[in-house]
Amino acid sequence: MKINEIIERLSKDPFNPELNFEAALEYESTGQSASAVSFYLRAAEYGYDTHQTIAYTSLLKVANCFENQNDRKHTVSNCILQAIAYLPERQEGYFLLSRFHERNGDWQECYTFAQVGLSKRASIPAHLPADVQYPGRFGLLYEKAISGWWLGRAKESEDLFKDLLCQIISDEYRLSIEDNLRRIGAPI
Amino acid sequence: MNLVERAVSNGGKLAPLAIPQGLTSGTGLMNPSVFIDDDGDILVNLRHVNYTLYHSENQQKFPSRWGPLSYLHPEKDQRLITENYLCRLNTDLEMTDYARVEMLDLHTPIWEFVGLEDARLVQWEGQYYLIGVRRDTTTNGVGRMEYTRIKINKDEWSIKETNRVRIPAPNDNSSYCEKNWYPVLDMPYHFIKWTMPTELVKADPNEPKIEQIFVKETPPAPADQRGGSQVVRWGSMYIAITHEVNLFKNYLQQKDGIYRHRLVLWDEQFNFVGLSKEFAFLDGRIEFAVGAAVFEGDLLISWGFQDNAAFVLRTPKIVVEELIKEALAYEN
Repeated sequence: MKINEIIERLSKDPFNPELNFEAALEYESTGQSASAVSFYLRAAEYGYDTHQTIAYTSLLKVANCFENQNDRKHTVSNCILQAIAYLPERQEGYFLLSRFHERNGDWQECYTFAQVGLSKRASIPAHLPADVQYPGRFGLLYEKAISGWWLGRAKESEDLFKDLLCQIISDEYRLSIEDNLRRIGAPI
Repeated sequence: MNLVERAVSNGGKLAPLAIPQGLTSGTGLMNPSVFIDDDGDILVNLRHVNYTLYHSENQQKFPSRWGPLSYLHPEKDQRLITENYLCRLNTDLEMTDYARVEMLDLHTPIWEFVGLEDARLVQWEGQYYLIGVRRDTTTNGVGRMEYTRIKINKDEWSIKETNRVRIPAPNDNSSYCEKNWYPVLDMPYHFIKWTMPTELVKADPNEPKIEQIFVKETPPAPADQRGGSQVVRWGSMYIAITHEVNLFKNYLQQKDGIYRHRLVLWDEQFNFVGLSKEFAFLDGRIEFAVGAAVFEGDLLISWGFQDNAAFVLRTPKIVVEELIKEALAYEN
């Protein structure tokens, strides 16, 4: 559905979290991240009491939108922290925060949030209504392995990487792990 | 009922405006000003900013780090930079052409608000003008309305600024910020500077000279009525879209605000006739209309949503007439 049709539907029910979320997804798909932020925020605020997965997803999407705009790091991390505080039992937010710190070279933060995320494995939460770049639990293990090496936990890091290669993971992660193992001189 | 729903349910049309992300990095596209020129082309000046407005609504459970309303510019560049794109729409309100307005390099900006903001598009005596506020010429952000005369090459679709005039405030020119004057489309160089009371001024497009034509008494305003769209002819009357804003701070002294709009009605001598009830376009708390044009008997109204999205709303004549009826019943 085109954005004008979505917005026209939204005009009849402007505080509907699902319609705001739909508008945001459409804007994001065309790279209009500022427009997407507006509607994701409305989805989160108006869905706070009734649409938990939409609100949570929206906050993580806002973080991704700001990351794409570059040089808004405090806002990116703040949005992820809000998502975590809202639904602390879910893993996605911890992964994104861990990855955020990895990209900034904050190794202890990266390691810590990966570990906290891994501790949430007991729950089997409902699927999110859209992709938030969470690859699955192996993503948290990957972040733990990456940051662990920089924190002096070389053996733990190497073992984690090798374990990951035995799991079903995406090609992107597999190639990265093999590259990292080569760099540290570990046999693959 | 918001105006978009009212318009669409009466046969109107909503048209989102966007230019490719590659030109904007995805940051805000806002406050468009629609205008129909002598060739019958539907033109829109579309403001692009280097920030994204963050506004949390409802219970404000998810404010930004800096509060519920924040201008999220790059963290290493505090400036709020505006550039303008001139667009052409077809009669279905689909964008067919767009190009950045190439501005003259006349000075180095020395304030955080950079560029010509919320420019209204007009064509007077054959010349096109973007008329908005500029605040980057002093170190403390003094704002003055400016004429930016532009040349539009419709074959190549390129737009260049050819002249710029900074308009002084009438009488005493010591005010800090002049902005949001409504250009009167069929009275070249005339602006409604203030709505209630109604102040009409005439500004020279070639040199910094201004004349106050009159100030006419009106009934008390429900809230300060500020510009606004262009002032357009509607039958024997003049109409424009105003805005009013309730700016406030929360208990943490963080800025917040709610914007609403009304239709204002004057007779041909600019005697105040009425003011509609307040309305929102999409029930957002921050919306802002800076354009209006009569098109095939309907009214095109262009507006920005939270500084982040831009739209043109074709508002059917019947809805405009309802707003006028409301305005005629105005009592305060």
